Amino acid sequence: MSTAAGPTNSTTNVTITLNGSEQQFIVEPTDTLLELLRREGCFSVRFGSDSGETGAGAILLDGRLSSSEVVLAVQADGHRVDTLEGLSAMRDELDPVQAAFVATLGFQSGYSAGALILATHALLAENPSPTEAEIRDALSGVLDRETAYVKAVEAVQRAATVLRGEKPAPFGPLVLPPLTDGVHAVAYDPAPTAPGTSPAVPRLIPSVDVPPMAVVGKPELKVDGVRLARGNPAFSDDIELRGMLHCKVLRSPHAHARILDIDDTAALALHGVHAIKHYKNTPRVVYASGGQSWPNPHPWDQVSFDDKVRHVGDRVAAVAADTPAIAEQACRLIDVTYEVLPFVLDTDAAMAAGAPVIHDQPDAVGVHDAARNVAIHIEGKTVDTATLAAAFAGAAHVFESTYHVHQVQQTPIEPHVAVAWLDESERLVIRSATQVPFHVRRIVAPLLGLEVKDIRVMKPRVGGGFGAKQEMLIEDIVGHLALATKRPVRLVLDREEEFVSSRTRHPQTLTFRTGVAPDGTLLAQELKVTANAGAYGTHGFTVQSVTGLRGLSSYNCPAKRFECDVVYTNRPVPGAFRGYGAPQALFALECHMDDIARALGRDVIDFKRQNWVKVGDRLDIVMFLGERGTLEPADVDPATFPPVMTSGIEECVAQAARAIGWHRRDDPAWVAPADRPHIRRGIGFAFCMHGTAIPFLDMGGCSIKMNDDGSFNVMSGAADLGTGADTVLGQIAAEVLGVPLSDILMYTGDTDMTPFDVGAYASSTTYISGAAVKKAADAVRWRIKVRAARLLGVEEPCSIELRDRRAWAPDGRSVSLQDIALNSLHTEDQEQIMGIGSHVSHDCPPPFAAQFAEIEVDTETGQVTVVKLVMAVDCGVAINPITASGQVEGGMFQALGYAVSEEFAYDDTGRMVNAKLGPYWIFRADDAPATEVFLVQTMEDSGPFGAKAVAEIPTDGVAPAVRNALLQATGVAINEIPFTPERVHRALHPTG
Amino acid sequence: MNAVVEYHRPSSLDDALRLVAAGGTVLAGGTVVNAGTRPTGSLLVDLQGLGLGGVAGAGAGAGAGSGAGAEGAILVGATTRLSELASASVAPDWLRDLARRELPSALRTLATVGGTIVAGGGESALVAAFLACDAVVTLAGPAGTDDVPLADLLADLLADLHDDPHDDPHDNPHDRGALLGGRIITSVRLDAGGAASVHSTARTTADTPIVCCVARRGAAGVRVAMSGVAPTAVVVDDVERLQPPGDFRGSGEYRHHLARVLQARALTELGAER
Repeated sequence: MSTAAGPTNSTTNVTITLNGSEQQFIVEPTDTLLELLRREGCFSVRFGSDSGETGAGAILLDGRLSSSEVVLAVQADGHRVDTLEGLSAMRDELDPVQAAFVATLGFQSGYSAGALILATHALLAENPSPTEAEIRDALSGVLDRETAYVKAVEAVQRAATVLRGEKPAPFGPLVLPPLTDGVHAVAYDPAPTAPGTSPAVPRLIPSVDVPPMAVVGKPELKVDGVRLARGNPAFSDDIELRGMLHCKVLRSPHAHARILDIDDTAALALHGVHAIKHYKNTPRVVYASGGQSWPNPHPWDQVSFDDKVRHVGDRVAAVAADTPAIAEQACRLIDVTYEVLPFVLDTDAAMAAGAPVIHDQPDAVGVHDAARNVAIHIEGKTVDTATLAAAFAGAAHVFESTYHVHQVQQTPIEPHVAVAWLDESERLVIRSATQVPFHVRRIVAPLLGLEVKDIRVMKPRVGGGFGAKQEMLIEDIVGHLALATKRPVRLVLDREEEFVSSRTRHPQTLTFRTGVAPDGTLLAQELKVTANAGAYGTHGFTVQSVTGLRGLSSYNCPAKRFECDVVYTNRPVPGAFRGYGAPQALFALECHMDDIARALGRDVIDFKRQNWVKVGDRLDIVMFLGERGTLEPADVDPATFPPVMTSGIEECVAQAARAIGWHRRDDPAWVAPADRPHIRRGIGFAFCMHGTAIPFLDMGGCSIKMNDDGSFNVMSGAADLGTGADTVLGQIAAEVLGVPLSDILMYTGDTDMTPFDVGAYASSTTYISGAAVKKAADAVRWRIKVRAARLLGVEEPCSIELRDRRAWAPDGRSVSLQDIALNSLHTEDQEQIMGIGSHVSHDCPPPFAAQFAEIEVDTETGQVTVVKLVMAVDCGVAINPITASGQVEGGMFQALGYAVSEEFAYDDTGRMVNAKLGPYWIFRADDAPATEVFLVQTMEDSGPFGAKAVAEIPTDGVAPAVRNALLQATGVAINEIPFTPERVHRALHPTG
Repeated sequence: MNAVVEYHRPSSLDDALRLVAAGGTVLAGGTVVNAGTRPTGSLLVDLQGLGLGGVAGAGAGAGAGSGAGAEGAILVGATTRLSELASASVAPDWLRDLARRELPSALRTLATVGGTIVAGGGESALVAAFLACDAVVTLAGPAGTDDVPLADLLADLLADLHDDPHDDPHDNPHDRGALLGGRIITSVRLDAGGAASVHSTARTTADTPIVCCVARRGAAGVRVAMSGVAPTAVVVDDVERLQPPGDFRGSGEYRHHLARVLQARALTELGAER
């Protein structure tokens, strides 16, 4: 097509200089540039949203970073387009920008790696020595839900250094001496920490209890870093299958309605439509969608397609067609007759007399009280009711406060994607962006009328999950349609669908009541929660149980009680979200404890320290809450309560308090700066304690086999969501087998090829899947030692050591692992050296953390600006300190959005009004506060090489730390998040 | 994805106007037209071939020239991308900064000045800045070109929106395009001289402001304009007469409060009074 005027009625030719070569393409006028590029094999250009604000689809258009989702292919006619694919032609080759992102962990999942790298190229081409602000501005178009951008900024700086011909400093943790003896508090030290060190680098405080290791504890590069930086087709949607159909889902416009009839005649008649599924042609099989161990906790209240819709965005029907546009058009042609019903969005209204009954279907299983919309009721207590009452009665002070936490979303930049097809054996293959491939296979099988053995679920790289993908969310839809059409079927949710039909965090109202002795010791504590389950009860039991567990575990107290109602409403559905009930609990708990300290005239850290759990203390409430049934206090011997074996909290507090400048909060001139009269400043603190996996339930399996060249295939059922789990698991195997990480080939998350694993959730991958890897590696190690002993003529295989790719006899002779492999596979008494391991834990050793937040509040407008976040975490031994610090940074940022900017807002029809990124605000590179992360080592003997969990605890403390900073700055306690300007202004000026 | 069946890239303004007269939807950068809101029309008119881009100094009475114009006058072509305005040396720093802040890095390279005026909505701080610069929009139509003060153009739009309360001001860029009555914006003339003060409140420092107040002290006195207080950015002569609509980010009452506070700060900074 020329640039001259002229109509184009259907397909047209465009000429684009793509990655340096002028090419002609045939396009439809409606094709976006993103669609064209992906069709042409540029899979590094990825879909994040229709309106381009995620930047996942950003390319260089005439050298300028541009979101290709909002550019029509015809608009690019005559222009130059560059993608990641054009940067480096050779296998494994990285240019300096790609190399810098790999070296600094500038991206995690790599879903938006192309955009980040191209943004850097565009910036550095114009400005070889950009300031940090200029870098952050250049990255502002690429939303990252996984990091805090600090390592990406470091990557750009590093790339600039290299491109200027200078040599960058090595990138690794900054090792700091401890401030404490590991147990006792020390006087606060106001001396500043290590000035001038990059904030992207974790501060590591080693423990003397940790033995020296070769691979574990080292800042190894991500095992998938190079292929992600090259933009290789690694994600679920990065395949094209012959004859693939495209699915669109017709969704409910009503918050609550009965479907009286569906007429799909006109839609089916549309050319290019192959199948339509809805309640009239789909078997009714009841299930719960949460990706949890068998049997799923009740209620089971969903079916693939129902004759009732319970929230705006609920499923009505699904279409498979030749193109997404035809499928969309067919959705519009489906004639649905609704009987619109009254709806409720909030729990009080849902439980009120006369409220509409949301689950009135007779086949729902295990709904607690359907008539009152109570999906689940949970109780747990460490003492009997009379003892609890007596404890409150005997307390010198009793404090009670109520807190409200709201609905937010995980918003991974990669949406939910599933592709299903029948393989040559007519088994159903589902390629899905999931955290739980094994649970998906088990849950989806009965819905499709198949056996588990008829299905294979594969999880390629996942572009972030955060719990949203701990669901069987859309796999049944593509399964139904693939079976109906015998064709591959692909479904990718758009951003609005992600908001309204994916999963969210449970909103809760939490009331803490606490009895305190005159000296500040806690005597009795009760937590009552009303949680909003939205339209379906998925994860409702376990999330709220964790709320009770986390709300009543941080502090020692001889009498505790938890009670909770989980209530149906007509909101989009809450489910699993990183932290899983803990961020809600810890917002309430850490605010409540701050309030008590203030009321008693106590220093907040001192008061919390007096009561927080320490090494040797036993965790009691955990025995009375959980999926495996609850017990009565009289039934449990307190001596069996799991004890805390390691805690680095005092070192965490000492390091983080010094880094944030805790002493400034007591300086009136700092709190109220004279030159900015409407500004108040504050610093807040939250004590955080999380869990590590679910004891007796979370299970992981691993198998390892040795190859001819002495390398190893590690096959684990775990699911790396971008977290670096594959890297960490590989490091564990490498440490055991005495090889560099580069000799470990990770393959994870494929139900046909890898052992079972519950999946990536509940802070379990390193601890559970890692322990399984270690056991499998130990088994392989033993076979290598036996073979090495024979080759070296050594009597005792036990005396053989593995290191540096060799097996060593005590006398210093050695044989290479390659020679052992060749011997075992080809030469003599042949065997495949391999091992399996599986692990389930009876412990869940808590990681601990100190979270601090520095804020400024504009007292006239209510705008809260978070200036700095410091978190010091005791996660045991961080197997990889760089990926661990990336988890902490990214987790804090999700928690920051929870605290100040993210919320689901509804109109008076129950429709979400801000189902779009922007109106739903997640932090960008250019409004990110400063961060600093400390990793305080402890040696947790129950974990692999001393590890505890790290991925969820960063989501726990930011909201209460910000709230406590606001309280300290203004004297006003705000017990409801998010701290949006109007809410804060109203609290500061209650009379208007 | 659009339901568009025809795409045109005219190389002359006359061709473009004929296509618009035939019911075409104007496509400038595409960040709004191509993003989810689906035009019902079947004809897209891409302006990129018209050569309407560029930023130049425009001294009083002078055409597009080089260097800063007298008293800060600037002529901005309609298809100038926001990223180009953000780096235009003839524009003052505060205006460049607002152009940069309007959209993140991967969208401001696409979005245009003309498109922002038409589709920016009531939350556009950049359009408020244009109002504070006494922007005059040049419109080309079948009957020739017109220079229309931006404030008048937006006031017409505001009246139109009041007439039809079902019109969602944030979601209907195509209806807004229709307001131009078959005309196409070709350029905007700004008076960016004198001191300016920008104050805003948002959920975070990079978020679209809930309310943004731009005050500029020009030769003719102080001009105050705001975003976030009406369905379009507006010139504010009397802050007490505002009646801001509310949404989940700020009720009408709160937005009105912000308007007072932010205006007071801006005027104080300029050493001005109202």
